[in-house]
Amino acid sequence: MSRLEAKKPSLFISDPLTKDAVSQSLSLLNRILKSCYGPAGRLKQLHNGVGGYVCITSQSSAILGRLSVSHPVLKVLTASVQNHVARFSDCGLFTAILCCSLIENFKSLPVPSCTVIKISKDLLSLCTDYLKSEACGCRVSVDFSNLKTLLCLVRSVLTSKPACMLNATEVDHLTMLIVKAFMFTIPCHVETKAVLGKCVTVPVKGRRVLDSTVLPGLLIETPEIQFAKLLSVKRISSDAIKIALFCVSMSGDLFNPEEGMITVHHGISLEMSELNQLLNVGKQLVNDEVGLVVCQKVIHPSLKQYLKENQVMVVDRAGLSVMEPLSQMTGSKPIASIHSFSPSCYGSLKDVCTKSFGSKHFVHLIPNDTVVCSLVLCNRNETTWDELKTCSLSTSSFKDADYSQTQYQLIADAFCSSLESVACSLSHDDEILTDTVYGHCWLVPSGFPSVSNWSDLLSKCGCGINSNTQNLNWRLLRPHFGSPTPQSCPEEPSVKAADLLTLDCFAAKYSGLQVAVETANLILDLKCIIEDQN
Amino acid sequence: MAFRDVNSRRHIGLQQLSSLASAGRTLLGPMKSCKFVVDESTNQSMLICSAVRLIESLDLSSAAGQLLNETIQAQNKEFKTGMSTLLFLVGAWSNAVLECLQQNVPVSAIVSVMSEGLNSCCEKVQCLQISVHDVNKELCSSSVRPNTSSSKTYEVACDGFLNPQIFLCLQKEVSPSKELVPRNSCSHQEADSNLNKGLVSPLADCKQKRLTHSRYFSALATSPSSSQLDDSQVCLSGQSAHPCECYGLGHLARALSHGNEPNMKLLKSIVAYQHERAECSGSNQFNIAEVVTCCLPGLPESYSCICPGFVTLVSPEQAAVIKHLGDKPLRILLTEGDLTEAYRHLGFTKPRNIRTVLERPDLQEGRPGDVWLNTSLDILTRSQVSLVLVKGHVCENLLERCVANKILVVGSVPQKVLSAFGEASGAQPVTYLTQLSASCVGSGAQLELWTASDGRAMDLGELVPVRIRVRGLTLLTAVLTTAVPAKMQLVEDRFWTLVYRLHHALRDGKVFLGGGAVELLCLSHSQALAKQTLKLANKKPVKEFHGPWLAASSAEYKPVVLQALASGWSQYLAAVMCNTAKATSLFEAQTLIEHHLKKAADCGSPSAYVLKEFQTGGMFQGGPVPSTGSAEGCRVYDNVTAKTEAWRRALDLVLLVLQTDAEIISGPQTNQLLNSPASSEFMFL
Repeated sequence: MSRLEAKKPSLFISDPLTKDAVSQSLSLLNRILKSCYGPAGRLKQLHNGVGGYVCITSQSSAILGRLSVSHPVLKVLTASVQNHVARFSDCGLFTAILCCSLIENFKSLPVPSCTVIKISKDLLSLCTDYLKSEACGCRVSVDFSNLKTLLCLVRSVLTSKPACMLNATEVDHLTMLIVKAFMFTIPCHVETKAVLGKCVTVPVKGRRVLDSTVLPGLLIETPEIQFAKLLSVKRISSDAIKIALFCVSMSGDLFNPEEGMITVHHGISLEMSELNQLLNVGKQLVNDEVGLVVCQKVIHPSLKQYLKENQVMVVDRAGLSVMEPLSQMTGSKPIASIHSFSPSCYGSLKDVCTKSFGSKHFVHLIPNDTVVCSLVLCNRNETTWDELKTCSLSTSSFKDADYSQTQYQLIADAFCSSLESVACSLSHDDEILTDTVYGHCWLVPSGFPSVSNWSDLLSKCGCGINSNTQNLNWRLLRPHFGSPTPQSCPEEPSVKAADLLTLDCFAAKYSGLQVAVETANLILDLKCIIEDQN
Repeated sequence: MAFRDVNSRRHIGLQQLSSLASAGRTLLGPMKSCKFVVDESTNQSMLICSAVRLIESLDLSSAAGQLLNETIQAQNKEFKTGMSTLLFLVGAWSNAVLECLQQNVPVSAIVSVMSEGLNSCCEKVQCLQISVHDVNKELCSSSVRPNTSSSKTYEVACDGFLNPQIFLCLQKEVSPSKELVPRNSCSHQEADSNLNKGLVSPLADCKQKRLTHSRYFSALATSPSSSQLDDSQVCLSGQSAHPCECYGLGHLARALSHGNEPNMKLLKSIVAYQHERAECSGSNQFNIAEVVTCCLPGLPESYSCICPGFVTLVSPEQAAVIKHLGDKPLRILLTEGDLTEAYRHLGFTKPRNIRTVLERPDLQEGRPGDVWLNTSLDILTRSQVSLVLVKGHVCENLLERCVANKILVVGSVPQKVLSAFGEASGAQPVTYLTQLSASCVGSGAQLELWTASDGRAMDLGELVPVRIRVRGLTLLTAVLTTAVPAKMQLVEDRFWTLVYRLHHALRDGKVFLGGGAVELLCLSHSQALAKQTLKLANKKPVKEFHGPWLAASSAEYKPVVLQALASGWSQYLAAVMCNTAKATSLFEAQTLIEHHLKKAADCGSPSAYVLKEFQTGGMFQGGPVPSTGSAEGCRVYDNVTAKTEAWRRALDLVLLVLQTDAEIISGPQTNQLLNSPASSEFMFL
């Protein structure tokens, strides 16, 4: 019996931004994110307070994914940043910090919000125009025939994640692997529309980072018992194995078990009839000379036994992640039914062998055309592995985004106080200087008195493009909270870092800037919140 | 959603790490002091002496504690050794880093300098690695000769060696030594030449003397067949070059055992068995996958032994079946999963919405489970299976019925046992009995009650040990016994630690000089680096890995941070010396270490000094002197990868915690935190 309860009235909150709780939460969030920013960013321990897994990270995707924010304003903010990260996998912190700072700064202005929004839109377009223009001093285009820039870019991303705990050799090794993996995914024969292949990450925890490697083709983990008994595979010719790919469960359990009641007579076993159907599938596969059967889910042990007795190799529990690359690599169509399927679904494979990494055993599927590769990623323990995985994902995916633009660029940004405060949070121990010639960023150890002669202390700017050759007229970069003057921004853009040593992804930062400004505008525009309390 | 700052000068996380690690001080080194862990709810107690067991029984509700646990478990999973080292260094380095923070050293400087420092140390100690082959050669020859240091006594010994067995061994040893200079992985290291001089030249000198003293050898030395032995062959086939009964590994096992005498004997016995088999099949000389353990609490420790085959415990009723079956060869079946009616393979979801209707009630049919029992038993008897090894659980009723039908069913059998039996008997593992076909059943299994070395059969109250064998079975069971049941876990842990040490030594192909030699060199190296940077401090900054971002700050703080790194090694050495009673107090240990450090520095090349000390058996003489062995037997070696990985993991953990500035607690506990006394520390989102 269901219980009826009277509906509660909705809660109406007007002018949410003027509330203390909101601004406190907002500034706390801003503080958390700022302290994570940059290569020396501080890490955060995320856990549930009752023991169990602890996540140590400084990445926006990990933090925002685990934060449970309650206030609608913060929800809007985190959602739009997460959306940006989902698309570009980079510059999440930049976006979030800029957005928070913009809201904080604009909010305190004695200007009506509609005016602020209008002006900030103009500023945004000025900035984006500048960034896209040839005059932009912080752009480096990426030459795809020369690996150097690409390597720098990957290295910048890897070194910006301190929680990975990588040393110099390990960063070099991984950088090479990631770029290699990216190269594997570029098809050799470019047709009208080039489609990048896939790189599948294979986790191996507990091993050294230097044990990581890239292999063409796919690796699928198998339990040891099967590993010991992999028989020679039936081939249709010397370099072709027919493969059938199933995406439906072949474990022999019944279809949609939740709907309605099935009544059967005593002595009739639905399980047996299902198994018979599976064995029929097995017969068809054997007749069609299939050499390898891969199933995303589980295969019934009896069917496995039957197939093995007929020299068909079986790999089950392959998982969803390998299905798409596997079908792309072999040309096979995933079979979604065990009742009827046509031989046209089969694909082909060059070879199959077995590989072991540490205590894990894999079946290595080698395709004829290598657009799919596997990145075997090792790190010492779970926490650092998770961090490493997320950041290698970001490196591989952001390259995707840039390939379509065929131009890889670099940014510098321009929004006075808010941008400066982002730049300031880049460093946590040192003072940041900026020069008035190039607008690049320089670091000095804190604790020095305000020396006039900076040139004795500085040798290279943060990104590594400019060295200390002439007097660049440095000044201290300090956040000027409370006295922002947005109108003056375009005239003196305080251009922040970037270059051959430290690179950021143009597309990601460009979008980050837009998302930040637009989200800030949206939030500033909020007049009331209506909360359904049921 | 709560948020707490970690005070940067008095970092909470590092303090937690340090206090957790301090519990493991006495577990360091060859002389461990065991700890009693008492469960207050059940009043049961257990003896532990490894860091893994300690961590398992500590309260780890803090985030830092969880990370420490995760790190130690990861090391345990990969190496089974080095966990105590890891735990200790976590504590020592946490304290050292806390001191750096007190002195206002910025976090980024600590991180970059410490990890660079450790890398540099790891490279430096490469010169203390010796290939397993060289170790074997040296240890085996020294076991033949009573004394290496004096060639005079050796000549005497040489004359006395004129029996055929020794003659054979010298014949094999002589010629390779002319060409084979043991090579280290880092030939460019200054210490390399020292090593060759120190370790091998006395040997070569002796051999030349041997040649002049014996009329047999001059001819043999030029024999082409033996000079063809090359490095890898000797290393892999090992045995041919090794005369004594250790088959190339026994002495290595002793050197790695760190005074763990009883387990060392077990390990030697495993090596001997596997060697014997390897001679027949030519397979790998030491295979860890073919060893399982069977624990028999209640027997004195002297009953521990290695048994070919699978030894396991069964009920007295089942033991009666074995007596009935006698020693005739039996048909054997292997099943994965449970042997119960309800069991289904992984991934199978049992439908809940099926109703069975019975049209005519059949009164003759018994209980619902009987059908399955009857068919199962029927399948087993029809295929004449007398022995079933099951990976999972076995249905009690089926067990009883099988006993009545003279079939022995053993449950909870480890995977590697199933694989070994599958290979030897030809049985194919099945998941369900209905899958059974003639090709799945193996044959030739033999059953017997396990008897101790003095021939007496064991009846340990409720359970009886039995031994299962098949012709060609490569499996060995280490039967571990102890009169104190609380020690059982400890005995088993120590056995596996030693087995894995040998395994890793062979996999690495090299070992470290042990007994603190490596740590002393690390200590002296990091102190030297600190002094060096102090001199260079005001010169141009060195180009660093993190680029100009971090270079700016770290140069100035380098000496302080490197000293912090060094203090980790120093505390480690002192703790080991205290535990092994080489020093009576921490103070005395520190003085002794200082003394050695000074001598090493005066000597000019610290690595050469460490090597010399190791050769003469001074400071690095390992462990307690065994009552039977000579002083020679005490040379100690360590695993290379396991040790350096433990260092790296320990430092990584400390630096990871150091770089955290806040805790974010999510989940439903927000209200509890709000009401807790510590709520003022938290901020809520």
